[in-house]
Amino acid sequence: MKLNLEGKEQFDAPPQELWDALIDPEVLTKCIPGCRKMTEIGPDSYVIEVQLKVAAVGGSFEGAVSLHDKNEPESCRIKVSGEGSLGTGEGQASFTITPTDDGGSELSYYGEGEVGGLVAGVGQRILKSVSRHLVKQFFTGLKKHFSASDDVSTES
Amino acid sequence: MTEQSSQNRFVSQPRRVREDRRFVAGKGRFVADIDIPGTLHVAFVAGTYAAARIESIDTSAALDMPGVVDIVTGDQLAAEIAPLMNGLDTPKVRRYPLAVGDVRYAGEWVCAVVAESREQAEDAADLVRVRYAKRDFVLDAEEALTREAPVVHPDHGSNVLLDKTFVWGGVEEDFDRSDEKLSLRVTWGRNSTVPIETFGVVAKWDPWERILDVWASIQMPKYADQIARALGLPGNGVRVHYDVDVGGSYGVKRGIKHTVLAGFFARRLGRPIRLIEDRIENMRAGDAHGPERIFDIDVAFNRDGTVRSMKMRALDNAGAYAGRAPFQLGKPIGAIVGPYRINSVQYHALSVTTNKTVEEAVRGFGQSPTNYAIETMMDRVAAHLGMDRLELRRRNLIRKEQFPYLIPSGTTYDSGDYHTVIDKVLLHADYDALVAERDRLRAEGQCAGIGIAACLEPSGGNSSFEPLLNEKNRTSTWMESVRINVDATGAVIVAIHTTSAGQGHETLAATVVGERLQIDPDAIRIVRPDSLESLPGNSPVGSRMAIMLGGAAARAADTLRAQILQIASHVSGIAEEKLTYREAAVHGPDGVVMDWAEIVDVTHRRFHDLPEGMSPGLSAQHILQVPTGTALPKDGKVQMYPCFSFEFHLVLIAFDPILAKPEIRRYVIGHDCGTVINPHIVRGMTLGGIAHGIGAALLEEFAYDDDGQLQTQSFLDYLMPSSHEVPNVEIVHHCTPSPHTEFGQKGSGESGYLGAPAAISGAIHDAIASRGITLDKLPIRMSAISDAIAAADAVQKKGIDV
Repeated sequence: MKLNLEGKEQFDAPPQELWDALIDPEVLTKCIPGCRKMTEIGPDSYVIEVQLKVAAVGGSFEGAVSLHDKNEPESCRIKVSGEGSLGTGEGQASFTITPTDDGGSELSYYGEGEVGGLVAGVGQRILKSVSRHLVKQFFTGLKKHFSASDDVSTES
Repeated sequence: MTEQSSQNRFVSQPRRVREDRRFVAGKGRFVADIDIPGTLHVAFVAGTYAAARIESIDTSAALDMPGVVDIVTGDQLAAEIAPLMNGLDTPKVRRYPLAVGDVRYAGEWVCAVVAESREQAEDAADLVRVRYAKRDFVLDAEEALTREAPVVHPDHGSNVLLDKTFVWGGVEEDFDRSDEKLSLRVTWGRNSTVPIETFGVVAKWDPWERILDVWASIQMPKYADQIARALGLPGNGVRVHYDVDVGGSYGVKRGIKHTVLAGFFARRLGRPIRLIEDRIENMRAGDAHGPERIFDIDVAFNRDGTVRSMKMRALDNAGAYAGRAPFQLGKPIGAIVGPYRINSVQYHALSVTTNKTVEEAVRGFGQSPTNYAIETMMDRVAAHLGMDRLELRRRNLIRKEQFPYLIPSGTTYDSGDYHTVIDKVLLHADYDALVAERDRLRAEGQCAGIGIAACLEPSGGNSSFEPLLNEKNRTSTWMESVRINVDATGAVIVAIHTTSAGQGHETLAATVVGERLQIDPDAIRIVRPDSLESLPGNSPVGSRMAIMLGGAAARAADTLRAQILQIASHVSGIAEEKLTYREAAVHGPDGVVMDWAEIVDVTHRRFHDLPEGMSPGLSAQHILQVPTGTALPKDGKVQMYPCFSFEFHLVLIAFDPILAKPEIRRYVIGHDCGTVINPHIVRGMTLGGIAHGIGAALLEEFAYDDDGQLQTQSFLDYLMPSSHEVPNVEIVHHCTPSPHTEFGQKGSGESGYLGAPAAISGAIHDAIASRGITLDKLPIRMSAISDAIAAADAVQKKGIDV
């Protein structure tokens, strides 16, 4: 089944810092829900291992992630494909970072993908809301990362 | 046969079902209750794609996980066991418990992981890495027939498992001579029985005795034999324990692949193995989906309503492997004209492989889909002629005086009184008032309709469809056995040789033996010896146990009675003809000659009083062949089952034209299964069967998306009828005894289910008839009804606007 996601998020960090975080495997491993490991295997190309639970099923997913059309620190395209006991997934996403007046930045993103296998069968009716929830969790984690590197503040 | 029915003390009496006591108290003993120390657990790696070549399997990370003992792939397994039994002559459609080389449906088991706990096995299964190369796949049965379609088993050469056409009688002549013809297509959606207890098995290998012990949630003929063959063990090297309660089945509890796998691991690892499916494993890959079938029918009839001939093509989507499922096209041949006098029939049975989950036997073994097709045909003929549906049926039904009645396909129906059953139902329901109620609902703006279905339940299951569809199969034997032993204290022990899935076989056997020996059934002990101690049998399939287990029990008891009379005559010196057996004692001209205690005393302690040549002890057994099951098929014809129960459904359904959620306002069924042995059991079967039929008609479907992924693999998506959907059902009884059975009994294990889908579909069509819509595929979901109504109304509105 097809899925698509889009949205905008505000960050206190300036564009360059946001950019650096978004392509840093260490930061991403912390922020992507269920991410166990993200390994760089070449320039702009990574292998990611994720463990997730959706609806009644839980399982693993192993994917290849590659970055394209990098325009630091403004925009980038990301391709993901992989499979695991949860099923298969393939997708593309792009993001744009623009500076905001208060010295922070705004991230707008758009992605579309196709998932198959167990998760598409069992979780189809909730997959959209689950994916939105996972994206939200990711950004919450990312914001936490910035606030932790600044000072100790509570998440919004 | 019937002379006794009025004198029955226990048979037909509303006696309590003895099994219910332990089930209601939660004291059943199910496979999950089998707890052997040191047991290992199995979890699976499931295939991701509908069709793919397995390129590599990396188990290294999984093997390092805590608790993991073993992991086996399909290739490793196939090198050590024989393929699972195949019913048809399709030797190149090989089936193993795990995918070998290719995954042929999404979710098929690719690897089995064994660990100290189920949780550990599941966690490790997650880490097995399988690389696939996707292949083209086919889901649709008609597409699978085409030359261009991907072939599920390339070695087999095509997707066709079975393609056989039978012509019984002068079909073309009857078509030529008939006034009218019409054609229709109806589709029976892929549903099944989905017991709350999934399939489970525990297997234990004893290397010193060289024996495999098996406890399973099983309902399967020749189960122990099939395990032994697949594992290369002698038949007496497998011991199946029949004293395991089965938590629902209705045909599908046939986990042969699970069992062979568990047995394989038990031998290989020397530890007990437990394999119990979780819900998703059960729904996706338990290989327990029911028939999915497209019927194309041409029917020829006269203007007076006489249906003369029928051409039926039934195309079954068997899923990825053959199994036994294609035979479900064969059994309905024994009732291919339903309860009607149709002079000639052409029947084209087609079964194809596709990349869907494997099909298994389901309640009625293909009869309910066929009944739905026949009854829809009758409704269409009535509509075409502008004739009342009841009147059309009355004109075509076999009349009481015409029994025994030979149908074109070679089966003779035993007995029936269809017109009377229908009259009783109409009287009970007050049919005119029901019609008035329908019209009142319509006047209120509701869609309201009455559905009727007149259907047969062939019962007494033999396997005549096997040799009919596969000439290499020479099976005509389909026996069931009972052994009775009276011990030295006078207590009666009756052995039955099967598992039960709620059919009440203990009550059945006790009632019948109690009746014949005239002792309290509750005082009889029922035992279930294991398969090595058992007499031959074929398990409770084909609506057969009232006839077969009941018949064997009655005959074994009769043998005991004959022995008792012989002893009494010998001891008393009174001629046997002057003695009668009554109230567990032998009576002579001047009172009791020998009571039960003395009978027992003579047989167990007084050898000197036994007639010459008689063995001591009081014990008898009977191995019963299916009545009428005497010959192999000839010229495409065969006597299929011996007995034919009849059911007539009358249902009123109403729904809002916009929401279109069907509400069953009234449900009356007339049921004639001959002599009823236990009314509670028959009632339970009928009510459950109707609930099951409501599911098939309106709700349940294993639906696949375009990628071949099963979309309904949990109860969130696979909709089962609940107490909200199942109405109060009124049962009207009638009894036309069968001449072939001990008490006149016929089968009722499939009752209700065999006509409910047809009747419900008929009611919905009556409700929407004014709009000229047909909904030709089951289940008829509420969305399909409301969309069709909206589309029809939009067209009509447009017409008016213009």
